[in-house]
Amino acid sequence: MLSFFPLPEFWKALLTSLVALLTLVGIMTRPFRWNEARIAMGGAGVLLLLGLISPVDALFTLVRGWNTFLFFLGMMALSTLAETASLFDWLGVQAARFAGKSAARLFLNVFLLGTVISMLFSNDATALILTPIVYVLVTKLRLPVLPYLFACTFIADSASFLLPVSNPINIIILSRHPLDLLTFLRLLFLPGVVVIGINIGIFFLLYREQLKGSFDVARLSSPDKAVKHKTYFRYTCCVLALVAPAYVAASAAQFPLSPVAIAGAVLLLAGALYWRRTTLLEAGKGVSWSIFGFIAGMFIVVRAVEHTGLTTRFGNLLMHLSGGTSFGAVMVGTAGAALGTNLINNVPMAVVMNSALVSIHNASPAVGHGFIAATIFGCDLGPNLTTVGSLATVLWLLILRHRNVDVSGLDYFKVGVIVTPLMLFAGALTMWLLL
Amino acid sequence: MRVLCCLDGTNAEQIGRALEILSAIQPLTVGMLHVIDTGPRKEIDLLRERFLRPPMHPPHPPPPPMHPPHHIPREEEMSEAERASAQEILNEGRRFLASAETLEREGRPELEIVNVAAEWRADLVVVSSRAGYRERREIGPKSVGHVARFVLDHAPCPVLLLRPLAPEQFPIER
Repeated sequence: MLSFFPLPEFWKALLTSLVALLTLVGIMTRPFRWNEARIAMGGAGVLLLLGLISPVDALFTLVRGWNTFLFFLGMMALSTLAETASLFDWLGVQAARFAGKSAARLFLNVFLLGTVISMLFSNDATALILTPIVYVLVTKLRLPVLPYLFACTFIADSASFLLPVSNPINIIILSRHPLDLLTFLRLLFLPGVVVIGINIGIFFLLYREQLKGSFDVARLSSPDKAVKHKTYFRYTCCVLALVAPAYVAASAAQFPLSPVAIAGAVLLLAGALYWRRTTLLEAGKGVSWSIFGFIAGMFIVVRAVEHTGLTTRFGNLLMHLSGGTSFGAVMVGTAGAALGTNLINNVPMAVVMNSALVSIHNASPAVGHGFIAATIFGCDLGPNLTTVGSLATVLWLLILRHRNVDVSGLDYFKVGVIVTPLMLFAGALTMWLLL
Repeated sequence: MRVLCCLDGTNAEQIGRALEILSAIQPLTVGMLHVIDTGPRKEIDLLRERFLRPPMHPPHPPPPPMHPPHHIPREEEMSEAERASAQEILNEGRRFLASAETLEREGRPELEIVNVAAEWRADLVVVSSRAGYRERREIGPKSVGHVARFVLDHAPCPVLLLRPLAPEQFPIER
C-alpha cells in the first residue's frame, strides 16, 4: 500500500520494526489466546499490505526455507507414524523391564531413552510422545510422577544438539549457515554429552529421596502386548534402521536432510496404509499444520527487518561484545540465544539469529563456527530455563499464583533455573575448548 | 465423629492403625478420599503449548456437548491409568478401613482435601506428612510435604498429622 506513497527509508525502517516488535510481543503474550501462527501470519500480512516487503521477496524467502518446512513435515510425520506402530510404547516397557524393579534405574533409563529418541526423531518426539507414555507407565507402576515427567521434558532439549536432525532449530540455522558434520559433532556432540551428564547428575541429586523405592514388575504389560500390529512394528523398525544412517550420511555429504525425513515418512505411511494402521486423515492429524504458518510468518517478518539493517546491527553488536575472540563468540552466542529463546519462542529466535549471523561471515573460522554452534546450542538448550515457553508465561503463572490460582509450570521453572544456567555454561566452556 | 482419611497410595496401613486408636475412644464415621492429581497433566499441557500444540487435557469445566473434544487415544490411556491406579489405592484402603465411604476426586490434592472436608462436614481430617516414597524416615523442617502443609493451614476442622515412626533419629541434639 505504501508503495503508492513513497516513504523515506527511515520511516519504512521504523514501521517495519514496529510491526515486527508487535508480532514478537503478540507471540510472547498471545492476546485473546490467539494461536502463534495467526499472530506471525498477521504480522507478515501487515508488512505485505503496507508494502514494507515485496511479495516477490516474501515468496523468495519462503522458497529459500523449503528445507526447513519439509523437515518439520517429515519429522512430525515420522514420529506420528512410529507412534502408530507402538514403537515408543514398546521402548517404554523395555526401559522399565531393564530397570529391574529399581525406580532409580528406571529414571536413568528414561533419560537414556529420551536421549536416543531426541537424537533420531528430534526433541518434539520426546516432549510430546514419550512424556505421556512415561506418565502412563509411572502411574501404573505407582511411582512419583513429577521426577520422570521432568526427566522427559529436560532431556528433550538437553539431547537436541547431538545430531543436526535432533532439533528442527538446527535445520533452520544450518540451512543458512552450514557446518560440516565433523565440525558439528566436535562442537556440539561432545558438549551435548557433558550437558546430558550434568542433567542426569543434578536430577539424581534433586530427586534422590523419591527415587529410592522399587516397583512391582508384575504391573508392567509385556512388550509384545504393547505392540498392536507386529508386522507393521517390524517394518517401522527396518525403515528407521535405514533412516538413521541416511541422516548421518546426508549430514556428512552436506545434503539437505528434509528429503531423507520425507522419504522415511512416505515409506512408513505406505506401510501404515497397507496394513491399515492409519488413514491419510488420521496421519494428517498427527502433523501440527499451524506450525508452518508460524514459521512462514516469522520468516517474512524477519526478512523485512533484515532490509532495515537492524539484524546486521544486532550481529555487529554480538561481534563487538565477543571482542572478536572465539571464547567471546561462544559465550555471547550462547547467552544471547538462550536469553532470546526465553523471551520469545525458540523458533523466532533462531530465525532472528540466522539473519544476525550473516554479519559474522567475515570473522575468522573459529569465531564464525563458535557463533553458529553457540547459537544452535543456546536456542536448543535455552528453553529448559523456563520450559513452559517464555518468561512471559512464567510471569503470568506468578501472577496467577499471587491470586492463589493453580501454579502448574512453576515447578518446572524452579528446576530449570537451577539446572539450565549450569548446563549452558559447562556446555559452552566445552565447546570453546574444542574450537 | 466424622473422620476424613486422605489416601496417597502409601499410607493406608498407617491410617488404619490410627483409626483403631480413635475408634476405641468414640464411634467413627469414616470417609476415605483419594484425589487424582491433575497437576502433572497440566504440566504436560504447558509443555505442548511450548511446542505450539493444542492442550491434550480437556479444559475444566468440560466443553459443551456441541463441541466434543478432539479424540486423542493417548489422553484416554492416561485417564485409564489414573483411574486404575486410583481404584487400586481405594481397594487397598478398604482392607484397613472396611466400612469407609469412598470419595474420589480429581484436581489439586491440597485444594480438594480441604474442600471435601468442608462439604462432607468432617470433624477431623487425617493426612500423612508426606507420601511414603522416601525410604529415610526424616524428621526436621522439610518433613511435612506441600499437600499436608496446605491442609494444616487451610482445613476447616482439626487435622491429625500422621508421621512415620523415627525413634532412631532421637535424641535430637540439645
